[in-house]
Amino acid sequence: MATETETHVKDIVKALGNRVPETEIARELENYVNVYRVTLDTAKKSIVKKHGGNPAALVTAAANRSIKDLQTGEASVNLLCRVVYAERRTVNVQDGAKEILTGILGDDSGTVPFTAWEAEGLDLAKGDVLRVQNAYTKDYKGKIEVHLGTRAVITREPPETLPFPGKSSTPSGPLKAVTIADLKDGMGNLSLRGRVLQVEPKEVTVEGAKKTVFQGVLADASGRVQFSAWKDFGLRAGTALQLEGGYVRSYRGLPQLSFDDRSKVQVLADDDLPGLEQLAQAPRAWIEDLAERGGAVDVTLRGIVVDVKEGSGLIQRCPECRRVLAKEGCRLHGTVKGQSDLRVKAVVDDGSGALTAIFGRELTEALLGKTLEQCLTDAREAMNAEVVRDALTDLLVAQPLEVRGNVTSDDYGLMMMVEEARVLRVDVQEEARAMLAELEEHP
Amino acid sequence: MSREVAWRLFAGEFNDARKSLTEGTGDRAPTFVLTPLGAKVNRVLVSGVLTDVENLGTDAEPMYRGRVSDPTGTWHLYAGQYQPIAAAALGKAQPPTILTVIGKAKTFTTDQGAVYVSVRPERLKTVDGASRDFSLLEAARSLKRRLAIVRAAYGLETPTPETVRALGCTAAAADGIVKAVAEYGKVDLSRYQAMLAEGLRYLVPEEREAREAVAVDAEAPKAGDDDKVLTLLGGLDRDGKGAAWDELVAAAAKGGLDASALEQAVDLLLDRGAIYEPVLGRIKRI
Repeated sequence: MATETETHVKDIVKALGNRVPETEIARELENYVNVYRVTLDTAKKSIVKKHGGNPAALVTAAANRSIKDLQTGEASVNLLCRVVYAERRTVNVQDGAKEILTGILGDDSGTVPFTAWEAEGLDLAKGDVLRVQNAYTKDYKGKIEVHLGTRAVITREPPETLPFPGKSSTPSGPLKAVTIADLKDGMGNLSLRGRVLQVEPKEVTVEGAKKTVFQGVLADASGRVQFSAWKDFGLRAGTALQLEGGYVRSYRGLPQLSFDDRSKVQVLADDDLPGLEQLAQAPRAWIEDLAERGGAVDVTLRGIVVDVKEGSGLIQRCPECRRVLAKEGCRLHGTVKGQSDLRVKAVVDDGSGALTAIFGRELTEALLGKTLEQCLTDAREAMNAEVVRDALTDLLVAQPLEVRGNVTSDDYGLMMMVEEARVLRVDVQEEARAMLAELEEHP
Repeated sequence: MSREVAWRLFAGEFNDARKSLTEGTGDRAPTFVLTPLGAKVNRVLVSGVLTDVENLGTDAEPMYRGRVSDPTGTWHLYAGQYQPIAAAALGKAQPPTILTVIGKAKTFTTDQGAVYVSVRPERLKTVDGASRDFSLLEAARSLKRRLAIVRAAYGLETPTPETVRALGCTAAAADGIVKAVAEYGKVDLSRYQAMLAEGLRYLVPEEREAREAVAVDAEAPKAGDDDKVLTLLGGLDRDGKGAAWDELVAAAAKGGLDASALEQAVDLLLDRGAIYEPVLGRIKRI
């Protein structure tokens, strides 16, 4: 009997973050249960509440779950996990900006993206082992995410509670063999081969400390990905490497690969990966595949312009932040004297899907065969800035184009920042002849 | 919400569609025209020759009807006051001219229950032959890919979205094929195989010339068919609103004109300006 009470006392003390001595809690619990005769459960909750704690922290009965077994839409989930990655972000919510923590949690079974909505005072760093109680799960674009809301309780555990899965000396989780096109947000513990297309060091400040991160692009036959190496692995353009470990974060659908000293990076002396020159060609992609992946680095698309959207042509930008000005000025800086610029927001459709393609000033000038200054003159003469958009619509709608650039995604779908564009010329006769011959061979 | 893709299709496949679907709920739920091969078409990119334009409305409230032909059939475009840009462009177009049209696929059901499909243009542009040929090549590629998956799906005992997807297509394509099988059954694929070959031959000059030489003999309407149709129309048009297409087909069959002979005769009369379609699905003498 005594030991059982002790367990309950420990539960309460723990829920209160060891702020209140056990003796005091034991006395209170005795009082509630034996003098006032409330149920044990109610007593425990009341005591935690009385001391300013969160009663939800008492829910220790439910077993910890494996990340890979999580389902979408679970209301209460307990995890024993490690922070694979965490960063602070400011998001816009109904009543203004809110700071959140987002990142990846991992255990032996897998990894999962998470968002902590009560980030104040919460300081999570890569490698921390956490006991998470009362989290919930949601589906985001077909993938499960763990959310830590107001009811969630997060307690730090000693690192040895959970052996590190990615540590090469003690590999506990199975490595997942993937190609670059497979990379998706929240993946960790990868086994991947690729060739470095470009890399350069960059000085960054992480939690007050100066660090050098090596950023670049890694490619294989399936595609390419931006990477950040948090240690000098001696990577150069052309290096072929075998990576074990690492993790993937997506920024607006664009996967970004990170690895550090806990990952094993082996430079391959001899490899069968495609050469640097071959990989430097941006691979041709279909929009339906990009929609499934959420984005891609440096791809080539062939499609037809099916619309030129509002906000194309002559626009005014804020001199401070380069945002496009609305009628009432800049969203951040209010009334400012706008700077003229040119751009196109076109819808490019390849028959498998559609995306918004943004052409900057240089490309727009090249497409129009006119400079910004000439466009300003045209608009003044017509006394209407829309003439430039009309001219672009006339020029581009129904035009087959080949465009190259990075593709990202948000709630409105896919978007490409176009780096290169050219009018598409296809030898239709030749392709039709080939298809016809094939048809006659295999009717 | 992401933008609906513009399907590259041949008129022949689109015009076979008899079914529309709405996915999701609410005013903005997208609707689709479902073809027998499982294309779920919300938006379509049409490229072909505009053969005639007519204002079915008034000068103040125009409703333009345009006919665009590709190597496999005719597209019907309708643009009115709710498509001001496209309607203005269609009203100004001078047939014959090559157009590329991006628009929404629509169905129209007659009182008798017959379903007709048409396109409500969003964007309309005069293009050159090379650009049209590129679009037709894309339509051929799309049809070829769809035919292969549909053929494989027909081999399955009971095609489900999962089993069709496993044949190597997207979830959306698999869904369309399963729905098409439920709606139309297993259709005769040789018809679409022939359509594909027809579309491709059109793109290859030496094939096109060879076909045109044959076509002059075989496909010209027989003399007298056009007069027969005019007579039938006179008899069927009881209320001055024209004859329903279904009734015309039935009457023509009785008079010894099969569907293709009737279609050729009607095309000829439309081109000659002897008849017109006051509303979709009705034919009237002028």
